[in-house]
Amino acid sequence: MTSTRKGMNTEHDEPRIVEWIVGAGSTLLVTLLIGWITWEALTNEREPPAFVVRPLATEAVADGYRVEFSVENTAGSTAAAVVVHGDLETDGETERNDVTFDYVPARSQAKGAFFFTSDPRAGNLTIRAVSYTEP
Amino acid sequence: MAKAQRIDGRGGKRRDFLVGVARGIAGALLFALPMLMTMEMWELGFYIDRRKLLLLLLLNLPLLVVLAHRLGFEHTATWREAVRDTAAAYGIGIFTSAFFLALFGIIRFGMPLDETLGKIAIQSVPASIGALLGRSQLGGSGSEDSRDEEESGDDGQPLETGYATELFMMAIGALFIALNVAPTEEMILVSYKMTYWHALAAILVSIAMMHAFVYAMSFQGGHELSPHTPWWHALVRFTLPGYVVALAISLYALWTFERLSGAPPLTIAMAVIVLSLPGALGAAAARLIL
Repeated sequence: MTSTRKGMNTEHDEPRIVEWIVGAGSTLLVTLLIGWITWEALTNEREPPAFVVRPLATEAVADGYRVEFSVENTAGSTAAAVVVHGDLETDGETERNDVTFDYVPARSQAKGAFFFTSDPRAGNLTIRAVSYTEP
Repeated sequence: MAKAQRIDGRGGKRRDFLVGVARGIAGALLFALPMLMTMEMWELGFYIDRRKLLLLLLLNLPLLVVLAHRLGFEHTATWREAVRDTAAAYGIGIFTSAFFLALFGIIRFGMPLDETLGKIAIQSVPASIGALLGRSQLGGSGSEDSRDEEESGDDGQPLETGYATELFMMAIGALFIALNVAPTEEMILVSYKMTYWHALAAILVSIAMMHAFVYAMSFQGGHELSPHTPWWHALVRFTLPGYVVALAISLYALWTFERLSGAPPLTIAMAVIVLSLPGALGAAAARLIL
C-alpha cells in the first residue's frame, strides 16, 4: 500500500503477503531473463547470414502462375535487403523475377511469391538469394 | 454573491463543459499527435488483424474506466462518473483522431470504409487516454462537478493506493509508450542491431532507471521510503514487478502490431527488451504522475 501525504508517497513497512509473492515471482522472472540473455551472449555464434530457399506452392492465377517460396536465414545474425532471384528457363528463354525482403531475422523465415507468365512446372525454376546487407 | 452565482449558473455550467471538452481535445492531441503523424500507424489501420484491433479497443474500455475512477475530480469520483468520463474521453479521442487524419489527407472520401475505420480506431486508443488525462490532470481545479468538495490528498488523510492499482498505473504508462514506439521500424531495427551484451545492459539500465526515477529523486510524488525499510524492499516489491509489467505490456503491444509473427523466441525476447526500455520509463513516470 502506498499512502500519499503532502505529495510524498510513503510505502508502508508492513507489506501484505501478496506484494512479496508478486515481488518474488518478478525477481525470478527477471533473473531468468538475464540468465538466458547472458547465456546467449556467451554461447551464440553470430555467424553471417546464410539462406535456404524453398519453393512452396505453385498456382495458376489470372494472368500467369504464382510461385510461393520461403527464405530461411539459418544463421545467428539478421540480414536486411535480401534480394531473391527467380529464374524460369523454358525452351531456352529465361524469365527472371526479383523480390527484396526488408529483413530476414536470425533463424527465421520469410515468405514471398513470384508471378511468372510461363508454367513453372514445365520449365526449369531456380530460386536463390543473391545478396543482403547488414541492418 | 450567491444570487449572482445563481443567475449565471446555467451559462457557467455550459462554459465549464466546453472548457472540459477543449481540455480533452488538447490532451488527446498532446498524447496522440506523434502517432497521428507516424506512417506505420496509418499502415496498421489497414493491415492489422481485425481481431487484435478489437481486443485493443475493448481492453481500452476498462483501462479508461479505472483511470477515470482514480483520477476523477479530487480523487472521489464514483464508478458511474468514471464510466461517463470514459465515454466522453473515448468520443473526444475518436473525433480528434478522425479530424486530424482527415486534415493530413490520410483518410479521404473514396477510400474503402474498412481502411478509414481501421485508421481512426487504432489512433483512438492513445487519443482517448490523452483526452481523459487532459480533462482531469492538466486542468487543475476543474469545476465540472460541484459535488466534490474535499481534496482528500491534502487534509492529512492519506490517500491509499492499492498494490494492484499501483501496478495498473505502471501498466498504463508502459502501454502508452509502447503504443508510440512499437509500430515503428526503428524499434525493430534496434533489436536487430543490438548484440546480446547490449540487450543485457538494456535490461539493467531499464531496472536501474525505473528504481532511481521513482525513489532516489525527490520529485513531487516520489516514493520516499520510511526510514526502517531496507533498500531492496522497494526493488523487489515495486520496481521489479514494474519491470515485469513493462515486459508484459511490450509483448502485448508487439503482438498486436504484428511484429512477432513467426519469429523465434530469442528474436521476440530482444524486441521485448528493447521496447521495455522506454516502457519502463513510462511505467515509472506514470507512477510518479498518476
